Amino acid sequence: MSDGRVTLLLDRVTKRFGDFTAVDALSLSARAGRIYGLLGPNGAGKTTTIRMIVGITEPDEGRVELFGRAVGPEAQNRIGYLPEERGLYRKMRVGEQLRFFGELKGMAAGDAERAARRWLERLRLGDRAASKTEALSKGMQQKIQFIATVLHDPDLLILDELFSGLDPVNVELMKEVVLELKAAGRTIIFSTHMMEHAEKLCDDICLINRSRKVLEGTLREVKRGFGAGAVALRAEGADGVLEDPSLVRAVKPAADFDEVLLADGADPQQLLRRLVERGARVSKFEQVEPSLRDIFIAKVGDEA
Amino acid sequence: MLAVVRREYVQGVRNKGFIISTLLAPAVMGVLFLLPALLVTMRTGGATRLAVLDLTGRLAAPLAEALARGGEEEVRPPRGTRDEKFEARFAVERVEPGGRPPEEVRRELERRVAEGELDAYLVLPPEVLDGGPARLAARNTGDVFTLEAIRGALGRVVADERLRAAQIDGARVRELSRPVEVEQSRVTKHGEQPDESRGGGGFVFPFLVGAFVVVAIMMYGQVVLSAVVEEKTTRIVEVLFSSLRAFPLLLGKLVGVSLVGFTQFAIWALMFLALGLYGGGALALSGGAFTLPRVPAAALLLAPFFFLVGFYVYATLYAVVGSVVTSEKEATQVVMPVSFVPVIAIYLAFPVIRNPNSAFSFWVSLVPFFSPVTMLARVITEPPPAWQVALSLAVGAATVFGMVWVAARIYRTGMLMYGKRATLPEIWRWARRA
Repeated sequence: MSDGRVTLLLDRVTKRFGDFTAVDALSLSARAGRIYGLLGPNGAGKTTTIRMIVGITEPDEGRVELFGRAVGPEAQNRIGYLPEERGLYRKMRVGEQLRFFGELKGMAAGDAERAARRWLERLRLGDRAASKTEALSKGMQQKIQFIATVLHDPDLLILDELFSGLDPVNVELMKEVVLELKAAGRTIIFSTHMMEHAEKLCDDICLINRSRKVLEGTLREVKRGFGAGAVALRAEGADGVLEDPSLVRAVKPAADFDEVLLADGADPQQLLRRLVERGARVSKFEQVEPSLRDIFIAKVGDEA
Repeated sequence: MLAVVRREYVQGVRNKGFIISTLLAPAVMGVLFLLPALLVTMRTGGATRLAVLDLTGRLAAPLAEALARGGEEEVRPPRGTRDEKFEARFAVERVEPGGRPPEEVRRELERRVAEGELDAYLVLPPEVLDGGPARLAARNTGDVFTLEAIRGALGRVVADERLRAAQIDGARVRELSRPVEVEQSRVTKHGEQPDESRGGGGFVFPFLVGAFVVVAIMMYGQVVLSAVVEEKTTRIVEVLFSSLRAFPLLLGKLVGVSLVGFTQFAIWALMFLALGLYGGGALALSGGAFTLPRVPAAALLLAPFFFLVGFYVYATLYAVVGSVVTSEKEATQVVMPVSFVPVIAIYLAFPVIRNPNSAFSFWVSLVPFFSPVTMLARVITEPPPAWQVALSLAVGAATVFGMVWVAARIYRTGMLMYGKRATLPEIWRWARRA
């Protein structure tokens, strides 16, 4: 699906508010047909970065290129932006509201209405077009706002905390929709601080902390680059081996096993050999990849 | 931008508040104008029971007669004015001292008034004829119409009596000293025409128009204010800004709301017209002295334009206020000083109406913050040269564009600032930043 085309390019983008540098020389590139995870703790600079991409604010330095050109009003119509802070006109009817947002993005009223009907059906809200927005539940409003984001069939989708406020059923539904959009060749920027969601959806990730990029790459590269990872281990008589700092960085007890984080450069094979030599009874030895969550905590945690 | 205009318009017109105010405002206005007139003319209770203790022996009979006529002058002003509605009716009781000391009679009357048997009593001591005071005692001293009627009647009766003492015929004197009527007409370039408004209306009417324009401006400014605050507090503005620049967004909003305003005025105008056609004839038949002041056609034509200038100038300010505050509640506080300016415009209308072509009036009617009231006042009272009107409108339009442009910058930054209200220096910085 991915043709590798770069849709969005940020080149050493910097944004300051007074003395505070919200985004510091950030570079990144997102490709068509892929989901790009923009990750980081609260206050890292994600929202500021997004606002520069969608043209709400302008960078003080650096450049933002969309579809090979500097961001401008014509590029805005090809973006769909779902802000973290949701907002809809409370008094408007759902159908009118969606038509308005479609028109804002340059759609003809009729096209917007048709697209709105189709999306409402797709998200199981087909009977709600005539309801007043304020009469809907929070989860429904979230879905309405998502429709407002994708209504004009944008090439670049920016979804900030897409799943917040949704129940598990709707989370699955939205995931499905996002994957469909990806399959249709859209570029998706997925911003979140929930690593579990990012892990399941993102092809590429960029982790930012304190205004700077901490790491970037495909999910696979990032995980591989993070070191050998960890081993899920259940063993008796393993004392001594796990205390060796050249082999083991940390041991985290889990339900009925221990998660053994290997030291940099250590090989899981070596750990297994040492355990056997030691005469330990190994009933579980499973190599596990570090979760994005672990990486996040390791990279961000020691500074935070 | 068209989408923004349309949304503001459709939502505005469909709003319950709009529908209610459109239908109710004329009714409320009618009630506010008619009710006081009705209430004042309405006399609850019967005639005023007045006892007269005449110690001169010569005044009681003519006074009773004068009061029976309702306290009206014999020589009425031509064209009965509404004064006749206020005439007080009296039941006069002449009290004869009958040898008793006056003080005793007075105490007796006092008791009867206190007990409600009488409403008032009047003592006319002998000195009245030589310029001494009469004494009126009443339970209710607040009924100015009654008091005025008694005073007027007594004054004429005493004057007549004094004239008779000097052997002069009172009726003849009054006839000879009848006041002169002044017929007013209005001179314009197109010649002379009778002025129906008779002075008073000519003064009040431009003032009313000004007040109406100001109220409309403030009302719709408020609409803009709450719309902006809603978009800020609900964060809809993030999506809006990701689709549209601040300038077209703000302009679209203002245009949409101003169209709502025009729709309302158009409906009112139609209602008024229909009512005028239907009720006007009936009113004329009933002989009501209710003449509408003649409005120059020019004023009617220009009014919408000056409303636009005023609306955009103030609505822009309201929008700026809306973008820098954090809640609806805060907005109402901050908007206070802004709301004072149009009130100043109304005050300025007074000197302008008195002297429509002075240098002061000229300058004041150029300032866009005041021109919707002051220039309209001039057009209605004494039309200024066309170039002055055009200049005033041009200055207004230029100011509006400048203001919206500056406001859009403040708006853009202010709308994305959450959590705290912006300070004036901050706002100044935003406005200057490119």
